[in-house]
Amino acid sequence: MTAILEAHALGMRYGRRQALTDCTLNIPPGHVVGLVGPNGAGKSTLLKLACGLLNPTSGSIRVLGNAPGSGPEQLARVGFLAQDAPVYPHLSVADHLRLGAHLNPRWDQDFAERRVAQLDLDPTQKAGKLSGGQRAQLALTVAAGKRPELLLLDEPVASLDPLARREFLKHLMESVADNDTSVILSSHLISDLERVCDYLIVLVSSRVRLAGEVDQITAAHHRIVCTRREPDTLPAGLEVVLAEHTDRQSTFVVRTDAPLPAGDWAAESLSMEDLVLTYMETAAANPRRARQDSEVAR
Amino acid sequence: MIEFHLDPRSGVAPYLQIVQQVRQALLLGLLSEGDQLPTVKQVVARVAINPNTVLKAYRDLEREGLVAAKPGVGTFVTRTLSQASLTEHEPLRNDLAAWLKRARGAGLTEAAIEALFTSTFRATAEEER
Amino acid sequence: MSWLTWRQFRTQTLVAAALLAAAAVYLLITGTQLRHSYSADLITCQSPSAHYSCAGLLNGLQNDYNGALDLFALLVLAAPALVGIFWGAPLIAGELERGTYYMTWNQSVTRTRWLAVKLAAIALASIAAAGLVSLLMTWWASPLDTISGNRFGTQAFNARNVVPLGYAAFAFALGVTLGLLIRRTLPAMAATLAIFIAVQLVVTVLVRPNVMPATVTTVPINQTTMSQAVRFDRAREVTGPVTIDLPAPPGSWNLSQTPALNSAGQPIQTSEILTCWNQLISRGPVAIKGDGNPPFASLGACLAPLNLHVDITYQPADRYWPLQWIETAFYAALAALLAAFCFRRIRRLG
Repeated sequence: MTAILEAHALGMRYGRRQALTDCTLNIPPGHVVGLVGPNGAGKSTLLKLACGLLNPTSGSIRVLGNAPGSGPEQLARVGFLAQDAPVYPHLSVADHLRLGAHLNPRWDQDFAERRVAQLDLDPTQKAGKLSGGQRAQLALTVAAGKRPELLLLDEPVASLDPLARREFLKHLMESVADNDTSVILSSHLISDLERVCDYLIVLVSSRVRLAGEVDQITAAHHRIVCTRREPDTLPAGLEVVLAEHTDRQSTFVVRTDAPLPAGDWAAESLSMEDLVLTYMETAAANPRRARQDSEVAR
Repeated sequence: MIEFHLDPRSGVAPYLQIVQQVRQALLLGLLSEGDQLPTVKQVVARVAINPNTVLKAYRDLEREGLVAAKPGVGTFVTRTLSQASLTEHEPLRNDLAAWLKRARGAGLTEAAIEALFTSTFRATAEEER
Repeated sequence: MSWLTWRQFRTQTLVAAALLAAAAVYLLITGTQLRHSYSADLITCQSPSAHYSCAGLLNGLQNDYNGALDLFALLVLAAPALVGIFWGAPLIAGELERGTYYMTWNQSVTRTRWLAVKLAAIALASIAAAGLVSLLMTWWASPLDTISGNRFGTQAFNARNVVPLGYAAFAFALGVTLGLLIRRTLPAMAATLAIFIAVQLVVTVLVRPNVMPATVTTVPINQTTMSQAVRFDRAREVTGPVTIDLPAPPGSWNLSQTPALNSAGQPIQTSEILTCWNQLISRGPVAIKGDGNPPFASLGACLAPLNLHVDITYQPADRYWPLQWIETAFYAALAALLAAFCFRRIRRLG
């Protein structure tokens, strides 16, 4: 099966600033991928590279098996929604749908109109007068209306109130359920990602720190709490991701692909949020170290 | 038609929460044999979760024999869970009570018992996977 | 793509159409009046019982319409700049600034096609608008142009016939390019205006006179030629230069003249013409303009034996249309280069 996104040593440099460094990814199809990381980590850059709005300065990237943005056929297969959902303020809601209809051979006008009705949007309303949540939904309708195989969403819900966020995600998931669309969704709201993502990429300071299926990742990571000890006294096969010590107690976040051996500790699993924070803390301590899952074959 | 809700703070994986909620509905009699579970799309439209999560939960329930999927139509309940089924496992319950008594007799605290149980439970679950 | 182009350009089209219609109405009305006055004046001054010479009467007509001529010429000169600023600069800059390019350039059309349709459609509209304005202006001003006989003056050349079309194409392409480079609409508009004006000045003042080699003719100073002289004046000191302005051949473009030269080709001093000059002023006040006025003619007769001459550099009248076409082609070529640059540049945004 063709990966939805394949990157080899992908890098992007703007003048002095390195936005992405040495990113290698292989994302299988049929997933909702969460791309998470602090602001300025490179999430937007990765998404723009994936839709062909940017050309990489080093390395390579292929999306759905082809070079991004290469021709109308490729453009038809990939939808994009930018941060803050820019729309044409003087064009009406219906005009935006017409835009989709005229610029896409595979446009599904019925779907788009149904969605607009579902959202209770007035088709003659100028898009500039819509609320933030309505704009995001309109932009999602325009992006999804051409029935793409892959949807790229750059912080789509960052500036929305909780209700609008929830509604947006519902409609997004409906599209996924309907069309088997793969999604790559960047956000710094981990709680939203936890609900919808089954594949996770953690991007910190331009590098991929963690990448893999959520189930596998959560199963492989454990937090163990024990009496104060050094990391190298832990059994072999446990990779220490993070170590914290008080004078009496040590807390380790470890990673192992085998089942956790029994030991003189209390072990618990980590939520996605904990995992992400762990890797973000680790990245702050070791800026150059990248870590990724390669066992993503389905 | 039952509705699902997701508790992100429960520490339980989303698909497991759905499985548990179906089981609970069966136990409480909210679902009976022949009832249709909401479609993946219906669930996803009410609760913003990944469709794969729902599919996984329904597959698990199918493996347990509680539901059956009819392609193109939907997923239907095939068997109910009543309180009676819990009483079927009386021998297991007695074994568990005896073990707990031995553990307390060995001087383990409540928390230690729980830790021991949880780690063993997880380890054996891993092995079976 | 054509729907989107029209939908986004709808307002600009309607505004332009309204302005053009208003301008057309006004020009047609005043132009007809001008033509009536012109014909009437011609009949008056050519009848045997005329009180006024044709030159004087038509001169008066010119004066009456001078203000309007300058104003309309200004509008014709401004039209390409307005096109560049309001149609060109926002084309790409507007999308970049608002972020709507994220939406539009991710639909199933490539950026190249998007740009091609937009450029073609709006360039056509720009050229058509400029063409219409130029056509109206050329028609309106033709009586005045006939009277002045000067088709090469800046206002006259730049605001007539074919060149405004070239200007419009260039200004539009310039606006689009600057919008692409600067990425913000208002600064792009300002830059478009500044660069367009600069290019216009450079081409009009420095390039146009040298596009084709000029003709040089030697005009002897005698009674005949002096009777057409525009100016003749001495300096205060007898060692000072003599100022003379002879007309170039009718309808041609007077580029430059040497001062009065002797047969050895050197400029003369006031002292050499002093005798004839004193003869002239002893007969009464000297008219500044020639036009057959006896004092200049007799001055010329007096100066003839001195074998003086003036070398006049000019572009002959029949160079008018070649210069128009060459300049239009030049601006069109610039526009094409800018467009090519835009097509290349839009493929890598970075």
